[in-house]
Amino acid sequence: MTNKNIFDSLTPIFREVLDSPSLVLTADLSASDVANWDSLNHITLIVEIEALTGLSLSTDELVSLQNVGDFVRLLFDKGYRG
Amino acid sequence: MKLDDYSSVGFFYDALRQRFPYFSGVIQKQIDTFGDHWLRLFERELEVLFAKDKKRIDQAVMGYGKFALDSMKLQVKFQKTKAYDNKTYEEAASEVYQNKEYMFGLYLPGILLSHYLWRHHFLQHMFFLEKFLPLVGSGDGKVFYDIGVGTGFYSKEMLTRSNLTGKGFDLSPYSLEHTLMLLEKHHVDKRYETNLRNIIENPVMPAAEFLVSIEVLEHLENPQIFLDSLSCMLIPGGYGLISAAINAPNADHIYLYRNSDEVAEQLLNAGFEIVDSSVDPAYSPKKDGDLVPVNVAFIVTKR
Repeated sequence: MTNKNIFDSLTPIFREVLDSPSLVLTADLSASDVANWDSLNHITLIVEIEALTGLSLSTDELVSLQNVGDFVRLLFDKGYRG
Repeated sequence: MKLDDYSSVGFFYDALRQRFPYFSGVIQKQIDTFGDHWLRLFERELEVLFAKDKKRIDQAVMGYGKFALDSMKLQVKFQKTKAYDNKTYEEAASEVYQNKEYMFGLYLPGILLSHYLWRHHFLQHMFFLEKFLPLVGSGDGKVFYDIGVGTGFYSKEMLTRSNLTGKGFDLSPYSLEHTLMLLEKHHVDKRYETNLRNIIENPVMPAAEFLVSIEVLEHLENPQIFLDSLSCMLIPGGYGLISAAINAPNADHIYLYRNSDEVAEQLLNAGFEIVDSSVDPAYSPKKDGDLVPVNVAFIVTKR
């Protein structure tokens, strides 16, 4: 349930940044699956997520983010519950 | 993507796609923009550096990814603040140049690969090859200085493409170590010596026929003093290649240049005459008002 809350809270950000209004987030979803998910949009996602959660993500943490599931797990581990 | 004739680039692309899928589009973009010429140069560099060792290519990809993420995150912040983090040279040195883990884990592999993967860095490289190198000619019996060697990339380029001998100066022992490693791999280290030296406090004499100083100015608190010293290191009639980063935050960028004219003015104040220049943005702005990192490179001489 908690992870579902995180997915729900991240969905508007991903849809807005990736310009994909009907995008459905799944744990496996990665840049390979979404045309607009390039490096600039990836950084924008991170900055928007930091603003949403109030968390600051280190470079080592950023390196670990390869798909949506990684985002959700990291945020959960850092105490965010959506 | 067909990379059958470029196996090292293929290994690199696979590692990049696996580790940083959002960065992997850069390979196709560079091929579309620069064609086979880019592929040949990048393949050659990867081959010499890593000899198709997938583990080492993967390590380099990790370093590049961290470096690029760091830079891009700072760029987003810079869009809002329009200023670099307030930092002294000593703070930047402690955080970056004297930090072996940061230098070898992230900074040096990141910058080295950026010469091929970042549009503006590759354009600077092309400017060097097409405009500066013809001025060097064979370089027989002549000397160049590289001030602020960084990875050693441009020292390597000068040595492998001419018969010059060279001296490299830097304040980071790790930059000098990396430079020697790079030159050894290219078998040109015998014509080069490295010096851990502050050229402002300890000027270099005699002046040389050529000098290169690539993206050093923005790392300094007072680039004008540095340029004044640099000017004394070039003989009248010699040529220098001096470049700077504009609107490009990084962990160790201190002096904010907002346009290329600011760099040109300092070069002229130092006594250089500008022969040619190349101003290259990293990418097209997404919207009006976006500040995009720009690289400016000047070929200079002295009368």
